Amino acid sequence: MKTVRNGVMALLVLLGAQALAGQEAEDLKRQIESQRAAVSDLERLDDHHMVTDEITLLKSWLDEAWQQYSKEEWKRVREVVDRCIAQAELIRDRITAGKMTAYANDREGAVRSTREKIERTKKALLDAQSTKKALEMNSK
Amino acid sequence: MSARKLLFAAILVAGCATPPKPNELDAFEKLKQSPNYQAAQRKAPELVSESERLFGKSNEEWQSNDLDLSRRDALMGSIKLKTALALVEYDQSKARADKAQAELRIVDDEYGRVNKDLMATQEQIALLQKLKETSSQAAMQQEKMQREMATREAAGQARDKIAAAELALKGAEQVNAAEFAKVEYQAAQDTLARARAQLDAKDYAMASQNADAARDQAARAMQTAKPTYEKSASTTASQARNEALARDLAGIPGAQVRLERRGDMQRAAVPLRGLFARKSTVIQPGSEGMLDALAAVLKKYPTYSVLVVGYTDNRGRRDELLARSQAQATAVYSALVGRGVEAKRMVVSGNGADEPVSDNRTTAGRALNNRVEVIFLYQ
Repeated sequence: MKTVRNGVMALLVLLGAQALAGQEAEDLKRQIESQRAAVSDLERLDDHHMVTDEITLLKSWLDEAWQQYSKEEWKRVREVVDRCIAQAELIRDRITAGKMTAYANDREGAVRSTREKIERTKKALLDAQSTKKALEMNSK
Repeated sequence: MSARKLLFAAILVAGCATPPKPNELDAFEKLKQSPNYQAAQRKAPELVSESERLFGKSNEEWQSNDLDLSRRDALMGSIKLKTALALVEYDQSKARADKAQAELRIVDDEYGRVNKDLMATQEQIALLQKLKETSSQAAMQQEKMQREMATREAAGQARDKIAAAELALKGAEQVNAAEFAKVEYQAAQDTLARARAQLDAKDYAMASQNADAARDQAARAMQTAKPTYEKSASTTASQARNEALARDLAGIPGAQVRLERRGDMQRAAVPLRGLFARKSTVIQPGSEGMLDALAAVLKKYPTYSVLVVGYTDNRGRRDELLARSQAQATAVYSALVGRGVEAKRMVVSGNGADEPVSDNRTTAGRALNNRVEVIFLYQ
């Protein structure tokens, strides 16, 4: 009787493990697919092509994850998917930082440009003041 | 035996030696040298500590020759650290952008001020230039007005001079210069015509000059023509006066006027008959009417010299006849003076029987020869 009970328990454990494995596989598959879908968003975000290499790497890792998934190497798939998630986050942050850098460059450029305009305007002002003085002298 | 030992030792050394470091771990180590590493630690401590943990683990795995695991952990650690560095880069860029934005506001303000100054100065320049232009235009306008005034004045002067020349020409015409000073008059007319044409052509200087010349020519023409004209006019007037005198004399009752020329002198003789009885030198009554009419004519023409000459027939001695004719002429002279005729105009003489006008052999002839003639003399 005890033997039967132990056998039933083992069966139940086995069935439970199988169910858990199936659930994880499904979860991993969903994550891979959502990451694939997110790649095009990332590419669209990267309008200045600042993280092209990183995106290529992400794509290759997603392919790798899928290969591992086919081989039902769940642990390996999980590890690659985690890396893909981290890489996607990195790409987003890099794009955001790059855009902020571009914005900063733009603002600094605007400052430089305005300073140049100030210099030119100051020179024009000096010239105009000379002209004005000459005209005033003439009119006296 | 020793060779076998050596081979064994070599295999043992090779087996215990550290494998080559994975590229991923190498790259991870280099990433850790980033100058922003400390900033990343402050910004994202969790990410950096996780990357540190993975770095240590990767190193251990490398040391224990588990290269695949070492590579994978180095990759993951690198991603974490790169993410932390990206966050730092974002912050730094944001700080730069904020600073630049703040600076931009300041420089924009400065630019605004400088540009405003420039615009104001340019506006002032434009006003000064406009003022200069206006002054210049005003000066030009004034100059133009002065020129116009000068032109108008010159035109006025030319017109005045032409008018003066026309007046002079009129004066010349009054003395009939067209006839008596043909050359000068024609020259004046031509010159005046030229002056008029020049006035129309607005050549006022030449018009003035020619008008002056025309006036002078007209004056010369007048000067030349005047004596001739005056002489001619005088002759004409004298003739008219003489004719009038003859008409008035013919109007005296009982008078028969005789016009004749002797040398340069013209004579209008009025024979008075029947004034005296035979051989008398006293005027008979009843002759007053004739004498009154004669005296009136004499007074009407006061410039004529007059001869009062007595004549007789030829009966008697010559000296006696001369005396009687003289006395009769004097009686008429006195009667005329008595009637207001100026005495000194008249010359009295007695010619006796000289210059008979009829036959002394007949009574009627002798009656005609006995007479006193009042003779008006003129040229």
